[in-house]
Amino acid sequence: MINQPIPRRTFLRGVGTVMALPMLEAMLPLSALASSPKKRINRMAFIFVPNGVHMPAWTPTTDGPNFELPYTLEPLKNVRSDFSVLTGLTQRHAFANGDGGGDHARSTSCWLTGVHIKKTSGADIKAGISADQLAAQKIGHLTKFPSLEIGCERGAQAGNCDSGYSCAYSSSISWRGEATPVAKEVDPRLVFERMFGNGDPNETAESRKKRDLYRKSILDSVMEDANSLKSQLGIRDQQKLEEYFTGVREIELRLARAESFNRDQRIYLGDRPAGIPQERGEHVRLLGDMMILAFQADLTRVCTFMIANDGSNSPYKQIGVAEGHHDLSHHGRDAVKQEKIRQINRFHMQQLAYILEKMKSIKEDEGTLLDNSMIVYGAGISDGDRHNHDDLPILIAGKGGGSMKAGHHITYPNNTPMTNLFLSMLDRVGVHAETLGDSTGKLQQLF
Amino acid sequence: MKYIKLKTPLCSIKRLGLAAGITLPAVLLIFSADAAQVRKKKRSAEGSMSSAMKMVSVSYEKSAAPLVAKYCLACHTGAKAASGVSLDKFKTTAQVIKGRDVWDRVAENVSGGHMPPVGAPRPTQAERDKLSAWIQTTLSRADCDLKDPGRVTLRRLNREEYNNTVRDLFGVNIRPADEFPSDDVGYGFDNIGDVLSMSPLLMEKYLNAAEKVSRAVIVLPESATMTKHFQAAQAAQTPGSGQVYGDGFRILASNGELILNFDFPQAGEFELRARAFQQRAGTEAAKMSFRIDGKDIKTVDVTAGAYSPANFFVRTSVPAGKHRYAVAFINDFYDSTTPPNPKLSKAEQKPRDRNLIVENLEVVGPFGVKALPSEMQKRIVVATPSEETAAAWSAAARKVLKPLAGRAYRRPVTNAEVERLVKCVTLAQNNGETYERGIQIAIQAALVSPNFLFRVEVDPRTSNPKAERLLNPYELASRLSYFLWSSTPDEELTASAAKGDLEKPAVLEQQIKRMLKDPRSKALSENFAGQWLMLRSLNNVSPNPDQFPTFNDTLRKSMRTETEMFFNAIVQEDRPILDFIDGKFTYLNEPLAKHYGIGGIAGENFRRVALTGDQRGGILTQASILTVTSNPTRTSPVKRGKWVLENLLGTPPPPPPPGIPELDKKGGPLTGSLRQRMEEHRKNPTCASCHARMDPIGFGLENFDAVGRWRAKDGEFAIDASGTLPGGKSFNGPGQLKTILKGKKDLFVRCLSEKMLTYGLGRGLENYDRCTVDTIMKSVAKNNYRFSSLIAAVVESDPFRKRRGQGDTK
Repeated sequence: MINQPIPRRTFLRGVGTVMALPMLEAMLPLSALASSPKKRINRMAFIFVPNGVHMPAWTPTTDGPNFELPYTLEPLKNVRSDFSVLTGLTQRHAFANGDGGGDHARSTSCWLTGVHIKKTSGADIKAGISADQLAAQKIGHLTKFPSLEIGCERGAQAGNCDSGYSCAYSSSISWRGEATPVAKEVDPRLVFERMFGNGDPNETAESRKKRDLYRKSILDSVMEDANSLKSQLGIRDQQKLEEYFTGVREIELRLARAESFNRDQRIYLGDRPAGIPQERGEHVRLLGDMMILAFQADLTRVCTFMIANDGSNSPYKQIGVAEGHHDLSHHGRDAVKQEKIRQINRFHMQQLAYILEKMKSIKEDEGTLLDNSMIVYGAGISDGDRHNHDDLPILIAGKGGGSMKAGHHITYPNNTPMTNLFLSMLDRVGVHAETLGDSTGKLQQLF
Repeated sequence: MKYIKLKTPLCSIKRLGLAAGITLPAVLLIFSADAAQVRKKKRSAEGSMSSAMKMVSVSYEKSAAPLVAKYCLACHTGAKAASGVSLDKFKTTAQVIKGRDVWDRVAENVSGGHMPPVGAPRPTQAERDKLSAWIQTTLSRADCDLKDPGRVTLRRLNREEYNNTVRDLFGVNIRPADEFPSDDVGYGFDNIGDVLSMSPLLMEKYLNAAEKVSRAVIVLPESATMTKHFQAAQAAQTPGSGQVYGDGFRILASNGELILNFDFPQAGEFELRARAFQQRAGTEAAKMSFRIDGKDIKTVDVTAGAYSPANFFVRTSVPAGKHRYAVAFINDFYDSTTPPNPKLSKAEQKPRDRNLIVENLEVVGPFGVKALPSEMQKRIVVATPSEETAAAWSAAARKVLKPLAGRAYRRPVTNAEVERLVKCVTLAQNNGETYERGIQIAIQAALVSPNFLFRVEVDPRTSNPKAERLLNPYELASRLSYFLWSSTPDEELTASAAKGDLEKPAVLEQQIKRMLKDPRSKALSENFAGQWLMLRSLNNVSPNPDQFPTFNDTLRKSMRTETEMFFNAIVQEDRPILDFIDGKFTYLNEPLAKHYGIGGIAGENFRRVALTGDQRGGILTQASILTVTSNPTRTSPVKRGKWVLENLLGTPPPPPPPGIPELDKKGGPLTGSLRQRMEEHRKNPTCASCHARMDPIGFGLENFDAVGRWRAKDGEFAIDASGTLPGGKSFNGPGQLKTILKGKKDLFVRCLSEKMLTYGLGRGLENYDRCTVDTIMKSVAKNNYRFSSLIAAVVESDPFRKRRGQGDTK
């Protein structure tokens, strides 16, 4: 009757053990949970930072384990044996290859797809499926949400984004298909409510069940509308309507499986986020919390997270950088500007450290949440001034459920396709893809 | 800047080749002397075309080829032609039309003075005019012969359209779409069918939004029963009986009460609830009494043990008004006789202290009372079932849902469509819900139907996929209302469509006038101007607070409001669109007036202010635009110049080369004033050709700092706001710059026409639209550049009123 998710801490502290929490989704007795054998699960996340990094402060000077942490990576010292730095990975299709300017747009939508996007302001948008969405297609049915897309900046809401490329290209690393970028959520509160409900005290298990029933019939009804509409549309319009069908079908599946997706009731949810924090670091950490909750509760196993959109000109006053990030990234070898870029890179790294340390502190049946994840972090541009897409700054954290080594600096021959890394990662979540974008095989040495 | 005298290629038209299958007989290009005469008259009336137009009907061989041979072929010949542009293979007019992509660029470069490059033999201005006029006119005429209205891809409502549509359908201004993910932008706007995509996330949000809207519109009779929730910590407590315990709990360690002074909205039966547990000691359980105004209603035994609270409740009648609801702990117990046994651990001790811990209190009710319907509900629910049979429910629902669905789908609906919605009501009935709940569910279904979410224009099913058709009146009404209002057609527009007279020119014109006067046309300033002028990007700028301490969110909002109101004034007063460049008035409130150094304006409210002098006037000198085109710590003449070229003149510079070349591989950073540093930068020939176009315009605005304040100095350096545009026109300061820009009104009108057409259609422009743009420009010039004439010309154009079947001319 009175199910408030708010005052849990007393209980958790008071009894010094985990307690059943009131349900926010459908309730399942703990005994039922306990009886289901827990398989070790593996998650993948891709965290993107814009405008390249200052490479001299990123790349370790020695290979193998026990490398000295470069300035930018220092914040990761508490998890230093939980991640590897991968040098030499490249997204060759992010280069112009005859298409002129637009590196920010290209590197964004190439980052996880490995394809050369079509230069267009709107008609005939064409990228390719991204690694995360490939995983979501294959293993998404195992969790309530096939994937989670979050980021700190909305897509541009006006004007030209980058040199003749539609803004769709410069605000999405995640692509469901060639023509369909996956929209991201920027408000932590909305992410929370989507996962755990909106905490309406009038909502009961019974009313939720009824709502789901009505939703099903609403979807049946609109599918009939859509089907009758389809026959009257031209091919291009049918393609658009197809996106609608996909959306309806996914919600239908989710409703049909609602009973089987009961999150682990033992997880402490924390407070409901109030909205979008003003300060970027807090925003990143709060969205990071949401990703961690989603992984912990096994609501999804796939996440993309854009700390900012590429070309972002956000200043970082909190660390004394008043100039815009993109503006600075065209440093023209000015040492002062380069230093500020280093500071921004390090600031981002501090937020990653928060996320990784928190994941490491969460114990699972075998190992920690971090052990059972693969978190790629990096950029689609190497040096922001040169806009080059080889020798990308990439690191990968976690141990992939024990299938991946950590704590190394591995230098690959420059121009090794980054998509090779993705293929190897996909293997480790049970998705056996032959190729992705420009991949030439699996990535050696790391796994 | 002579290239601007002539028409240059469209700023947003895709440069496509002609369809392979379509060739234009040369005869089409030869016009009778009379027709040419008429055209010439028209053009000279516009005063915008040079005498070079006389050459138009002359063939390539006669007019253009000699010039091309003289100035271009030295470099642009054969397989190794410069930039891959080889011109020697073109011999005839028809070939030029076929290779139009190349020739568009030739015209642009020749008229802009970029080609031939410095150092090569340079043509005279007359020669430049002659060549580019021939190319433009030839290609333009070929475009007109294409006569293709194009096709708009199925558009889903974007966020603004969704919010407005729901507002206008149901009178609820709850903006549910603010929680939707951003709509992607293409061709500068977020209403482009090809770019607006749909995702499962969005579908989920549509379902939630539909629920929200239906709840706001239809009040359920049973909803009079409300649950009010209070954490125990929010309640008062008898002094000395205990305190807040953990996060939000309260402990009653001694006998005492937790008290809420609750305002019961009306008399009736209420359920008083409490969630609590005990700390057990002694022989009996903790006893908790529910009390109203000090009177015991019921006493319960709280047997629930530590950390496993249980729910307790009682129902009772309460009169309306404020009453004291309390729960009391009435059997406190403490065993002081048995000392703790030191041999036992803490957990094994016999409990000696009985306490009551309360987690929360709730008041639910009243029961058995019906809530009153909303005003909108009375208008929508025009029929209620006369009896509780399935047939009676369906019959009533049908009467309600048919007109409702018609308004939601923006056209008359089919019986099958209505029946699908009626089924939702039947389902509710079968589940023991009220009729009103059934209507709620049906509204939800209508609001996630593709017929609501998409602006549907069906394709004619003919054997000829390229056949075009006039839009039906309902489709036209929707195009109009979403163009001018970003919302659904209102009753009057729909009635006109139903009557079948919307297509009549006089009626259409009258509707346009009416709609522009309607307050809903504010959507044009919020959505069209918000994107054309990039006002929306103001939300994302962060000027450095150390340098610009007066910039805050109030000022940010005021800047946007100024430009929106300025735009709206031009719409409402039907002013000439050239006022955008140098209108001598604006709208200010106190924060913004102070920012501008204009005195005598007090308060937050905006008012119209006449402008004198050279400093301000027109959008270019408004703080919104000046701030959006700046960096956080400084102005950016490049961004400002680029903004003017892209958004006012429609002559965007080519994108920067991929992989920005390193400026100075050996040396250190550049020094000097911003302007000096930029001029250094421009010595690099790779950068110079484009920056020579952008930078001078930006320099002309250097008197405005990065948040749009007037300044005479930038730090220690005096502002040099002079500049010379390519082609040699010089100016000093924003006033003279604006004069030059206003002199390029053909470019400005073309650019604005293209943007407006793009926005109105929801698709990018193609080659075949150039002819439409020409027609719009002429009509606007003829009507003294009145804003309404721009809108009317867009609406009356073929692309707006017609639709081609599937299949592409590509």
